[in-house]
Amino acid sequence: MISLSRSRVLHVGRVIGGCFLSAGVLWAGISPTTGHAEVPYFADAVAKGTLPTMNERLPEHPHVIDFGAEGKAIGKYGGEFVTIMGRSKDIRMAVVYGYARLIGYDQDLNLQADILEALDVNEEGNVFTLHIRKGHKWSDGTPFTAEDFRYYWEDIVNNDELFPVGPPRFLFVGDEPATFEILDEYTVRYSWSRPNPFFLTELAGTRPPFIYRPAHYLKQFHEAYRDPAELDAMVSERGLRNWAVLHTDMDRPYKLSNIQRPSLEPWLITTEEPSDRFVYVRNPYYHRVDPEGNQLPYIDRMIFNISNAKLVPAKVGAGEVDLQSRILTLKDYTFLKQSEAKQNYQVRLWDVGAGSYAAIYPNLTASDPVWRDVIRDVRFRRALSLAINRTEINRVLFFGLAKPTNNTVLPKSPLFKSEYRDSYTDFDIKVANRLLDEMGLDERNSDGIRLLPDGRPMEIIVETSGENPEHDDMLELIGDSWRQAGIKMFVKGLQREVMRSRAYAGETIMSIFNGVDNGLATPNSVPSEFVPVQQDSLQWPKWGQYYQTDGEAGEAPDMPAAEKLMDLYDKWQSSNEAGRKEAWREILDINSENMFSIGLIGNVPQPVVVDKDLRNVPEKGIHSWEPGAFFGIYRPDTFWWDR
Amino acid sequence: MLTYLARRLFVMVPTLIMISVLVFVIIQLPPGDFLTTYLNELQAQGEAVDPAKIEFLKQQYGLDQPIYVQYAEWAWGLLHGDLGFSFEYNLPVTEVVGDRLWLSLVLNFSTVLFIYIVSFPIGIYSATRQYSWGDYGFTFVGFLGLAMPNFLFALILLYYANVVFGTSIGGLMDPEYINQGWSFGKVMSVVEHLWAPVLVIGTSGTASMIRRLRANLLDELSKQYVVTAHAKGLSPKKVLFKYPLRMALNPFIADIGNILPQVVSGSVLVSVVMSLPTTGPMLLTALQSQDMYLAGSFLMFLALLTVVGMFVSDVLLAWLDPRIRLQGGVGQ
Repeated sequence: MISLSRSRVLHVGRVIGGCFLSAGVLWAGISPTTGHAEVPYFADAVAKGTLPTMNERLPEHPHVIDFGAEGKAIGKYGGEFVTIMGRSKDIRMAVVYGYARLIGYDQDLNLQADILEALDVNEEGNVFTLHIRKGHKWSDGTPFTAEDFRYYWEDIVNNDELFPVGPPRFLFVGDEPATFEILDEYTVRYSWSRPNPFFLTELAGTRPPFIYRPAHYLKQFHEAYRDPAELDAMVSERGLRNWAVLHTDMDRPYKLSNIQRPSLEPWLITTEEPSDRFVYVRNPYYHRVDPEGNQLPYIDRMIFNISNAKLVPAKVGAGEVDLQSRILTLKDYTFLKQSEAKQNYQVRLWDVGAGSYAAIYPNLTASDPVWRDVIRDVRFRRALSLAINRTEINRVLFFGLAKPTNNTVLPKSPLFKSEYRDSYTDFDIKVANRLLDEMGLDERNSDGIRLLPDGRPMEIIVETSGENPEHDDMLELIGDSWRQAGIKMFVKGLQREVMRSRAYAGETIMSIFNGVDNGLATPNSVPSEFVPVQQDSLQWPKWGQYYQTDGEAGEAPDMPAAEKLMDLYDKWQSSNEAGRKEAWREILDINSENMFSIGLIGNVPQPVVVDKDLRNVPEKGIHSWEPGAFFGIYRPDTFWWDR
Repeated sequence: MLTYLARRLFVMVPTLIMISVLVFVIIQLPPGDFLTTYLNELQAQGEAVDPAKIEFLKQQYGLDQPIYVQYAEWAWGLLHGDLGFSFEYNLPVTEVVGDRLWLSLVLNFSTVLFIYIVSFPIGIYSATRQYSWGDYGFTFVGFLGLAMPNFLFALILLYYANVVFGTSIGGLMDPEYINQGWSFGKVMSVVEHLWAPVLVIGTSGTASMIRRLRANLLDELSKQYVVTAHAKGLSPKKVLFKYPLRMALNPFIADIGNILPQVVSGSVLVSVVMSLPTTGPMLLTALQSQDMYLAGSFLMFLALLTVVGMFVSDVLLAWLDPRIRLQGGVGQ
C-alpha cells in the first residue's frame, strides 16, 4: 500500500491556481504492487523472461488516471487503431496524441503532474522543484533519473556546438538563465531570482521543450562522452557535417523519427522514414495505469497511414480509419454523415479552441497616411463590423453550425465576458452609416462610394493568404453589405509569405486571416495575441516588429490604447496570479472596446470520426492545438476496443 | 550505324547539363528556401521556432552559400551517383526514394504497354473498317478518354473500385502490405490497385495512338501498290501485314519519345490524386517545401527517362527503316 503522505500533489495552486486535484486520493485503495493480470501483448515475453513483469516495469507510484472524473470506463487490452496523416512529417503527431508531459493539462485544462510525481512551486513562483517517479524507466528499461535532466541542461542546451543559441527563452527570466540543481537522484530544481510565468505552460505545451533526454542513449553521440575517432567514423559514415548534427538527428524528441531512441511516450515508433505507413507499438514501461492498476495504453498498436490530404475524406467515408479529425473540415460533414450508417462509425462534432475562425485585420500601422488615420478611428472599425451580416455568413457557408463572434476568447475561457463576443456584431447598416457620416466621411462619388479625406474613393483592398477558399467566400458576402455602407471592397489573393511581408512593410491596408488561436486562454497563458508584440499580428505588424527587434525595426506604438496594452503586458509578466488575471481582463477590455481586429465567425465545429466500437473517446470535446494537443488531453492511451 | 548512335548519344550530354541547370534554377526561383517554408508551416500550426536556431540550421545545411556553389556541389555529387541530402527527411536522397523509383517504373512501363496493346489492334481495325459501327464506337470512346480530365477520371474510378470491388482508396496496395516483404498476396494487391492508374494515365495516350495509326494506315491502304497486290490475288491479311502496316509503323515507333514524357508527367498528376507510392507525390511535396536536392534528383530522373526514351525510339527507327539510317549517313 502507498501511504498518502508519500504521494505528492502538484503544488502549483498558489502560482497557477485552479488545480488542487489530489493524486493521493486516487490511489486510496489501489495497490499496484499486488499481482495484476499481465498485458496480453507482453505475456509471451514475460513468460520467457525477456521482459520483467508489469509491476516491475511500472514506477513505484504510477500515474493513476481518474476515470471517474474523466467519465471513462475500465477497458480491455488489445487491438490497433488507424488514423491518416497528410505527410510523413506528421509522425510528430504521435507525441502530440500521446501527450505524456512532465506536467500536462487534464480535460478541464487544469495542470496536473504526469510524468513527474509532483512539482512544487514556491510562493513567489521563482523556484520549481521537480520530483521524478521512483522506478520510472525509459522504454528500454533504463531508469529515468535526474541525470537525464542534467544531460539536457549541461550537455545539450549549454553546449556551444550543439546549441549555439543557448537555452530556449522560457528558461530565462530577462537575461538571467535558470539555476539548475540536482537535489537527489529523483529531484531536480530550476530557480530564478524573479518569477517565471512561462515555465509551467511550456512544460505542458503541445510541443514541449523536453527538458529531459535519454542520457544513457545519447551519450554515445556526444563529444564529451565518446572517443573522438569513433565519433568521427560514425559522422562520416552517415555523410554528416559534424557530431552535433549526428546528435540532433539521433535525438529529435518531438518528431521521434529514430526508432532506436528510448522515450516515455505511450506508443513507440517502429517504422523508419520514408514510408506510407507508420506502426507504433505499446511502451512496456509506460507510467500511467487505470484505477484498477492495469498498465495503459489499452490499445497495442497505433497506426498512421500517410495519404494525399485530398483523398482523406473519401478514405474516411470508405471506413478505412478508426479515429480521424486531422484534415477533415466542416465541409466534409455531410459526406461523412452520409456513409455513417454503412461504415460503422460515428461523426461527432467537437468544439474548436480557436477564438475565431476568421477575422479581418485593418492595418493600424499602414504606410498610407490618409488610410492610417481613417483606420485608427475606432468609429471606422466599429462601422465595418456593424456592416457585416454574420448570420448570413454562418448560414451560407457553415450550415448554421458556427457562431457569430468577435476575435476574442471563447466562453470556456475563465476570462470570457459576453460583451467580448457580442459587441458590435449585430448587422446594422443604419448605425454603420451614421458612424461613418459622423467621422466626416459623408461625401460620396456618383457610384455612391464614400470619399476619403483626400478625395480618393473609399476602395479597400483586402488581402488573403490564398490558402482558405472560405475566406474568399466570406469576403464575397461582406463586400455586398459594405457596399451598402458606401465602401467598396476588392479581394486580392496572395501567398502567405507575400501577404506577410507586405503587411510588415505597411503596404497592406486590410487583410483577412485566421482569428485568435488560443481562445481558451487562462490568466497564465501569454497574452501575446492581444498586445502589439508580434509582427505576425496583422492589425499592428510594425509595432510588433518594434518589440521583437528591440526597436531596431518597425515603429513604436503611438496610439494611447496600444501604449496602455504594452504597460499591461509588462504588468502581466511581473505579477502574481491575481495580477495576471487583472492584466488579462484589462487587455481584453481594451481589445473589445477598440475592435482592433474584426472577428467574423467562430466555433466552426470540427468533425471527429470515431469507430462505433472504440470506447472512452468523448462525445463532445475541444479540438485544439494549444492547450489540448487535439486528442492528447483526452488520453488516447485510455481508448479501448469493445469487440 | 555506329556513328549515328554515337552522335545521338553525344547530343544527350549537353541536353542533360542544360536541364540540370534549369532544374536547379527553377527550384530556387520562389522566395525563401527550405527552412523558411518549414518555419511558415510550423507557424501555421501555432508552433514557434527561434529565428536564431534557423540561422544555425541554414549554416548546417549549407543554405547560406551562393546558389552557384550549391549547384556545383550538387552536380558534382550527381556525377558520382550521390544524389544529395533531403532536408525534409534528413536522409540521403537515395534512401528516401527507395521503392518509389521502382514502383514508378512499373507504373509507367505498364501504362506504355497498355497503350500499345490496346491501340494497335483497334487502330488496325478502325482503318480497315473505316466508317463502320465499330470504327465510330472506338472513336467515340477514344475521344471520351482524350477529353476527360485525368484527375476526374481517377476520382470516379477510385470511387467505383471501392464501391464495386472493395479496393482500398488510393495507394498501390492495401495498407497492411506496406513495408512488408514481397509475397503473392502483396503482388496481387498491387495488381488489384494498378489497373486504375494505368487506365487513367493510358486513356488519352491510347486515343491519340489509335487515331495516328488509323490515319497512317488509311494513307497507305489507298496507295497503288496495295491495289496491285489485291488485284494479283494476295490474301487480304497478307497484303495488310506485309506492306502497308509496316509502312504505317514508323510514326508508331517514333512516338515512343513523345509518349514517355507524356506518360511520366501524366503519372505525376494522377499519382498525386490517387496517392500512389510513386515518385510523383514526393516530387510535389519536395517542390512545395523547396527540398531542392530531392526535387532536383526527381526532375533529373524524369529528364533522363525522356532523353533515353528519345534515344531508344531513334535507335529503333533506324533499325526498322533503312531510309532513316542511310539518310543519316548521307547527311554526314
